[in-house]
Amino acid sequence: MIQKKICMLGSFSVGKTSMVRRFVESIFSEKYHTTIGVKVDKKVVHVNDEDVSLILWDIYGEDAFQKILMSYLRGMSGYLLVVDGTRRATYDAALALNDKVTQAMGNIPFVLLLNKCDLVQQWEIEADTDKTLAARGWQVLRTSAKTGENVEQAFSQLAQATLVK
Amino acid sequence: MAEQAQRRAPQGQSQQDPPNENDNHAFEELRHLIIAPEQEEIADIQHRLEDWQRRAQDLSSVVAEAIKLRREQGDDRALADALAPTIEETLRDSVRKHPHVLADALFPVMGPAIRKSITETLRSMLESFNEALEHSLSWRGIKWRIEALRTGRSFTEIALLHSLVYRVEQVFLIHHETGLVLNHLTAPAVAAQDPAMVAGMLTAIQQFAQGGFNTQGDEALDNLGLGEFRIWIEAGPHAVIAAAFRGHAPEDYRLHMREVLEGIEQHYATAFDNFKGDTDPFRGVEDRLAPLLEERSREAEDPGKRKPRMLITVSAIFLAAIVGWTIYVSYRVHQWTQFELALRQQSGIVVTSVAKEGGRYHVRGFRDPLAPDPKALLTKLGLTPENADFQLAPFYSMDDGIVLKRIKVLLKPPASVTLSMKDGVLVAEGAASPQWIARLRDRATWVAGVRELDDSKLQDANILALKGAKSSVESIVFLFPLGIATLEPGQDQKLALAQKNIQEIVAQATALSETVQVEVVGHTDNTGVEATNLPLSKQRADQITKALILAGVKTSSFRPRGVGTLQPLRTDDTDEGRQLNRSVTFQVDISPVTP
Repeated sequence: MIQKKICMLGSFSVGKTSMVRRFVESIFSEKYHTTIGVKVDKKVVHVNDEDVSLILWDIYGEDAFQKILMSYLRGMSGYLLVVDGTRRATYDAALALNDKVTQAMGNIPFVLLLNKCDLVQQWEIEADTDKTLAARGWQVLRTSAKTGENVEQAFSQLAQATLVK
Repeated sequence: MAEQAQRRAPQGQSQQDPPNENDNHAFEELRHLIIAPEQEEIADIQHRLEDWQRRAQDLSSVVAEAIKLRREQGDDRALADALAPTIEETLRDSVRKHPHVLADALFPVMGPAIRKSITETLRSMLESFNEALEHSLSWRGIKWRIEALRTGRSFTEIALLHSLVYRVEQVFLIHHETGLVLNHLTAPAVAAQDPAMVAGMLTAIQQFAQGGFNTQGDEALDNLGLGEFRIWIEAGPHAVIAAAFRGHAPEDYRLHMREVLEGIEQHYATAFDNFKGDTDPFRGVEDRLAPLLEERSREAEDPGKRKPRMLITVSAIFLAAIVGWTIYVSYRVHQWTQFELALRQQSGIVVTSVAKEGGRYHVRGFRDPLAPDPKALLTKLGLTPENADFQLAPFYSMDDGIVLKRIKVLLKPPASVTLSMKDGVLVAEGAASPQWIARLRDRATWVAGVRELDDSKLQDANILALKGAKSSVESIVFLFPLGIATLEPGQDQKLALAQKNIQEIVAQATALSETVQVEVVGHTDNTGVEATNLPLSKQRADQITKALILAGVKTSSFRPRGVGTLQPLRTDDTDEGRQLNRSVTFQVDISPVTP
């Protein structure tokens, strides 16, 4: 079976862990987030008639007080960049983080997730943000960890992208 | 000089007059003369710089000197840093393409390194072996038994629990860069979590330790512990081996991990280079990882540790068996020798030959029918009769013992007769009936082996009995009071005994054609005068004779007479002597019947 290391990036409390908790296999306690800053889980998706095992590194959200350990990103095949639509700051942080990653590791497939689409009325980002970013050639999805909307799609889409590369 | 002066003249002139064509030509010529050599040198240098072959040639002559100079300046660190990547890459390529070249180069140091490793392993084995021996009957062993009794668990379980050195439960092969698990092995009966996630988390923890503590270079977390549970990590350029175990693994095990990792790195170099998440190319790696799933306990160290004990035990048993067998065989040979000696000394048996064939003894010779059965002798000495074959022809033995047996068989001597043989002479002693004595005298010398009969000490039993009875009667003394011929009271029993014995004597004598005369002799002490004592003694004799006749004893047998003081039984000096002399005694005379 093909395995891919996938990192889940995004600010604190954007919904990465919620997404993982509901949709992937998990054996480790979430305490690892606050101790070593990462928790590893697994998600198997079916892409191109084969199973791909995504080893998800759910990295603790970066904020002003904690910087992610860049070594955690080493060897990743792709990443999910998660944004909380209801908090504009998370969007800006995601863009900055993406620049940082690209600078450090080059162009690696990623999917930007505009999460909490179930609360789209409360979004602080522009409604056409997804289209704006898509225009840059980015893959963007509106997701909701709460309803499950596009979560599976997000994993599959990223897996597909890693295989293409 | 004149020519130069002529050429300078136009040059000086040019400052005043416009130059013409001739002047230019002269100028060029002059310039050529002045700077041509330098130009040629510059061109040559330029050519040397542009020609890489010449440049390399020039540099080659100074590179060694330059490196030496740099080292002497004490700044070799920068040089080493600069050269390291190239050297590492070169070595990697060399090992990958031509592994034998480096192997040949390392060969001289590999031998000592291996020997050192083996020595260390043997030392560790010996220590563990000693420990195992020590535990077998040690205080610790007793403690384990007490613990087993106390906890209700089996002794084996307690011993295993205490004596387990280590047990490797899981082995992970992890891609170094991505943390993806390439392969994973689990020991039997071990419940394992998803290896992909565990491998990822393990990698994350390693990276956390590296990043969190700002370690330098290749320093990495290589040991995780929780109680008796440990994870040892060995990292290579492309892969990481993580072994999860319980107990305390020796440092040798880490060396083992390193060797396995190096083997995998080398064998799967291409697969590592092309790795993009597909683990299929690493399927065969289980064979290399499997030996790392070790389990070692103190008592049951690896087979090598048991071998000495087993070898000692087996050798001891083997030696004991050989010694036992030798002793047994020697004992059996000794037994047989003893038997053979006894057989040769046995009366009535003549051994002519003894041979051992096919595990059996074959004895040949002669045996008197009255000699003992040799098989009985074998049994008596603890030997098995089935292992011996006797071929003994019958014969008459002249041995005294056998001859004596033969006589006893033929003549059946009474118990009162003792027979013995010495040098062919049969000696008969004791008493026997006249008939048996006659048969002995008639037949003794007919028996094979009896040359002569000595029966001088053999008596007729009847005569002997007659003499006994005679002696008994003659010992009876009837006592009388002083001066009278009446028996003292209390002598009735003596009278009855006398009557009985005299009757027997008479009967036996009659049977032997003998006649019996019983003189009844009366005595007196020396009190009084002989004229009265003599008649008194006669009266006493008559008194006893009369009493015996009245009791039924034949009259003709008695002849009473008185001897007075003439034949005293004792001296009359004492009362006791005088009392004994006042008596009647018997004298029995047995003689053949006169025709």
